[in-house]
Amino acid sequence: MKPALYLALIVALIPFQLTLLQFASIGGIRPDLCLVAAILVGLYAGAWEGLALGLALGFIQDQFSAGELWLNLVTKGGAGFLAGRASRYVANASAITALVVIFGFSTLVGLVFFAGGLTGEGWGGALYRLWAVLLPEALYNALVGTAIYWLIAGRYRTEQRGGGPTSLIWSLK
Amino acid sequence: MFRVTTGTRRVTLILLALLLSVLVLLPQQSRGLLQSLGQPIAQIVALPLGVLSAINRSLHEVWEGYVALRHVHQENQRLHKEIQYLQGQVNELQESAAVSQRLAGLLAFKQNVGPETVAAQVIGRDSTNWYRGVVLNKGERDGIHTEMGVITQAGVVGRVVKTTPVSSVVLLITDPNNAVTGLIQRTRDEGIVSGTSQGGVRMKYIPLLSNARERDIVVTSGLTGEFPKGLMIGSITRVEKAADDLFQSAEILPAADFSKLEEVLVILSPYPPGAADGAPAQPAASEKGSAP
Repeated sequence: MKPALYLALIVALIPFQLTLLQFASIGGIRPDLCLVAAILVGLYAGAWEGLALGLALGFIQDQFSAGELWLNLVTKGGAGFLAGRASRYVANASAITALVVIFGFSTLVGLVFFAGGLTGEGWGGALYRLWAVLLPEALYNALVGTAIYWLIAGRYRTEQRGGGPTSLIWSLK
Repeated sequence: MFRVTTGTRRVTLILLALLLSVLVLLPQQSRGLLQSLGQPIAQIVALPLGVLSAINRSLHEVWEGYVALRHVHQENQRLHKEIQYLQGQVNELQESAAVSQRLAGLLAFKQNVGPETVAAQVIGRDSTNWYRGVVLNKGERDGIHTEMGVITQAGVVGRVVKTTPVSSVVLLITDPNNAVTGLIQRTRDEGIVSGTSQGGVRMKYIPLLSNARERDIVVTSGLTGEFPKGLMIGSITRVEKAADDLFQSAEILPAADFSKLEEVLVILSPYPPGAADGAPAQPAASEKGSAP
């Protein structure tokens, strides 16, 4: 079940990110669903699954981005892996945990992109990118990620009460 | 899903560290490897991308055609296209006149042949927020390669930076990582046109003695290979010169509307630097390729 879920996620998420997600853009900023997915999977299914999914999503995302071919590969894989490592230190996962972790890792990933995209524009341009791209994107990712967590966790709890099958990502954790 | 032993973990981590080192230390080689590995996967992803792009287009059409004041919007759109076309025509004539004046004494006036182009549809935006780019539905199979120029009827759009057999990624001129050589039509001063972080376009390195001013038209200079000479880039909205600077710079309002890019033309013809020098400006849309 899980490999199929991951495969579907990989094939569907990138086209969605490239096309329909622009309807959800606020001030030209869209959430990075691939990053959110890698972090959530890392958090709740472990570092290795987070790493694998992050690498796969990042690799494909790089094919459809104007940036360097390794930027998404390394950052998404790294975020998934580190989120998994960080989850060891979290006793009880909650929506707040998801919010903080996704915001933190989105900011770290944003800093890599920020450093990778530095041009000869000077401080004005660099600061603008920090305030107008990095922080709003991290915040947007955190909110969307938390909403996804909340939705799936709610469904998970309902299924647990009903005794139904638990085929969710983190059910094996 | 994964049952990973300690030994496997160590080997995997070492391999990942090696991969990271190769990526950082050998960027050119790793770029080629990643591109060749990614092409078949990109082709698979292109299938759902095409479907979602069609849905996206339909949603846009429904919204713009029916919800948002159907008739007024259609009329407005038609007029916008007409204005863009006429602006292109005016620019073309102005450029032709300027060149003709300079070369009036020359009898052998070579008329340049319009660039060979292929039409493509914009099927998506860059997958990250960090680059201003668009994804086209045509790639290497249609003769598109990196560094090729991309235009619309209104003017310059950007250049191709990545290709797969069935798609390509275009970096827009509003991105700070992009640069095109530009020419101020009235004063004949050259400079570098590049994007800004704020999403605008700026012309840098304008000579100090240039009397460039607002509303001056900026066109491609033809000095780099992507674009022939005389394609509209935009018009100057503000000229700036700091006290100690050796050059002036100018803000440019791009001619192309990047928020509504749907179809574009990719210039296939090679344009060696200076090849079109002295020739009249060419209309941006002298398409000889296939339909988008």
